[in-house]
Amino acid sequence: MATLTASPTVAPPPNRARRRQRRRVPPVLLAFLLVPIAVEAFWVFWPALQGFWLSLTNWDGVSAPGFVGLGNFGELFGDPIFRSSALNTMIWLLLFGGLSAIGGLGLALLLQREGRGVGFYRAALFTPVVFSLVATSLIWQALYQPDGLLNKVLGGLGLESWQHAWLADPDTALYAVLVPALWRQVGYVMVLYLAGLKGIDPTLFEAAKIDGAGRWQQFRFVTWPQLRSVNSVVLSVIVIDSLRSFDVVWAMTKGGPYHSSELLSTYMYSTAFQSLRLGYASALAVVIFVLAFGVIVAYLVRAFREDDS
Amino acid sequence: MSIGRRRFLRNVGLAGLGAVGAGPLLNACATSTSTGAVTQTGGAVTVQSNLSAPAAKTAIEALVKGFNDRKGATASVNTVASETFRTQLPSYLTSANPPDTYTWYPGSLLSGYAEKGLLLDVGDVWQTMGNYSDAFRTLSGDGRGKQIFVPTTYYWWGMFYRKSKFAEWGVTPPRNWTEFLALCKTLQGKGIAPIGLGAGGNTPWIASGWFDYLDIRINGAPFHRDLLAGRKRFDDPKVKNVFATWKEALPYFDPNGTAVAFQDATTSLLQGNTGMLLIGAFFADSAPKDILGDVDFFQFPIIDPAVPVAEEGPTDGFFASARTPRRAQVSEFFKYVATAAGQELYIENSTGTVLPTNPDAKDSGTELVTKGRKLLQDAKELTQFFNRDSSDALQPTADAALVRFIQSPNEIDSILTDWQSAAEKIWNA
Repeated sequence: MATLTASPTVAPPPNRARRRQRRRVPPVLLAFLLVPIAVEAFWVFWPALQGFWLSLTNWDGVSAPGFVGLGNFGELFGDPIFRSSALNTMIWLLLFGGLSAIGGLGLALLLQREGRGVGFYRAALFTPVVFSLVATSLIWQALYQPDGLLNKVLGGLGLESWQHAWLADPDTALYAVLVPALWRQVGYVMVLYLAGLKGIDPTLFEAAKIDGAGRWQQFRFVTWPQLRSVNSVVLSVIVIDSLRSFDVVWAMTKGGPYHSSELLSTYMYSTAFQSLRLGYASALAVVIFVLAFGVIVAYLVRAFREDDS
Repeated sequence: MSIGRRRFLRNVGLAGLGAVGAGPLLNACATSTSTGAVTQTGGAVTVQSNLSAPAAKTAIEALVKGFNDRKGATASVNTVASETFRTQLPSYLTSANPPDTYTWYPGSLLSGYAEKGLLLDVGDVWQTMGNYSDAFRTLSGDGRGKQIFVPTTYYWWGMFYRKSKFAEWGVTPPRNWTEFLALCKTLQGKGIAPIGLGAGGNTPWIASGWFDYLDIRINGAPFHRDLLAGRKRFDDPKVKNVFATWKEALPYFDPNGTAVAFQDATTSLLQGNTGMLLIGAFFADSAPKDILGDVDFFQFPIIDPAVPVAEEGPTDGFFASARTPRRAQVSEFFKYVATAAGQELYIENSTGTVLPTNPDAKDSGTELVTKGRKLLQDAKELTQFFNRDSSDALQPTADAALVRFIQSPNEIDSILTDWQSAAEKIWNA
């Protein structure tokens, strides 16, 4: 199957005349390529390289940066707050990523068939994505207050012992912040999967049904393999989104109480703009970059390898 | 037409070069944009203000209007959200064309910028401020004989309560720590949370008020300043002693103290759910005007009578960038804000709970303010507040340590060790 689909893409070797034609690129086209590259290089690549350079310095934002080699990275190893925020980021990645992928796929499967009211449910689940996450956080912060809605509901149900200062307790703060982030992300992932499901050829299901496949088998052997390209998009999106999750945490707890809901992103921000240690903060940024890039590249390499075989 | 366009293109090219040249200086702060250096000696003095609360914003705008109405130099206010202001301050000061003047407070951050030559020497302004107290003069210096700051207002901290509630509960303000604990016990017996806090949400720094006061009451202001400047250690037995005293009062704290922000703690106080609240006079900004007449405060209880009485009197005012092209106008503006007339104008247009730094200026004259002014005048020493006496960079280390102490007071040894190591990173940075 794979070899069959791959063969038409192998083009016959082009003859010389055509190759010469291809070499002459119109100047307008060249300009359209080079100008965006220059802009991108100046506004994206150059600051990124600066960030790498800064991670090797002790810059404080005002004085000239002094070169300290790998000192910042050495300090990271001995920094207990870095360790706990890295652990929190891993928890965040697993729960935020895992639950939003599972939840998003589940909802997409549930809502993929057209029917009465389905459009309403899809819209309702997607609505949180539209709101600003900072505004969302403020609402959730009010819900979590000691005399907020959540505790009132628990009290009303006779569960007084469950009442909690959700954001002020170091045992619950991280998870309390995760819920609104998830509430938003599930809708987003659902839309990605809905688009993927729409793209599957219905005849495949018919063929599977004729072959006697049950619902689970249809999902396992038709839907899931067909969603592979969507999966890689979803994976990239959730890895990037969880590593850059910042606004929701900063707006609700600022990483507190005492660093219990600290993520690498919030720790980076507070190190940079509260402690004014921009060199060390750049080292944290490099770690975040390597993590995000590493996960995604590893996945893509694997995905391409599977495609090739 | 074609010349115009060519000149435009050349200017764009220059601006581009300028941006490239400034890039390495400004570095990764993607938010800091460099504008071409337009050296202009005329024009209005720009006042970069972090006073974004409605009442304070009105007051500074009235002050600037008062200055402009004098028909001399002119000024214009640019109000920025305080968090943005704080994070962008280094970018402002190091940019090629910075705003001329800034609202801020004196302290180690300013001395640090002064050391790097970024701040304007305002010694000429101070020559017109002969009636100011020596405390303000010292506070506004860079520690090496240069004046870099012009103080305009200050305020006090106290243990605030509602007179009608205290009357209803049949209690009176305590005079010392023992009486204070007894009062707490009485209130608790009546089913009231005796001490409100408000160190939750986005205001964990409120807890530092307690640390500051206990430390200056037990160890005195000089020790406190040394501690915050890194000359003493947070795991010092004397600091541990502060927490041992705090622990005596801890059972009387509102259990929601670390869960709600100070605005909500203020509401609880005014509704009579909590008995007292240690806070700065600024809390009145978010309190309904009709209740303010019923609000009173008492001095933080004396713990050791042998320790000279110190109070927190955080001071606010202005400083200027050394790169301002409008030195004469900046100086004129600063001389104006230091006058009694200027400060009275500011206070009239504010909520009226701040005190003027000019001894000849009248305050708003309410009973509360008169009492607050007397509290600070009677004090042997003034401290600023944790972040002002140390730095904004050290504040988060205090927030983490103090909130953790309030929640788990028995972990005090490891809390202090962690605090010391976190603080060392800031001091050594």
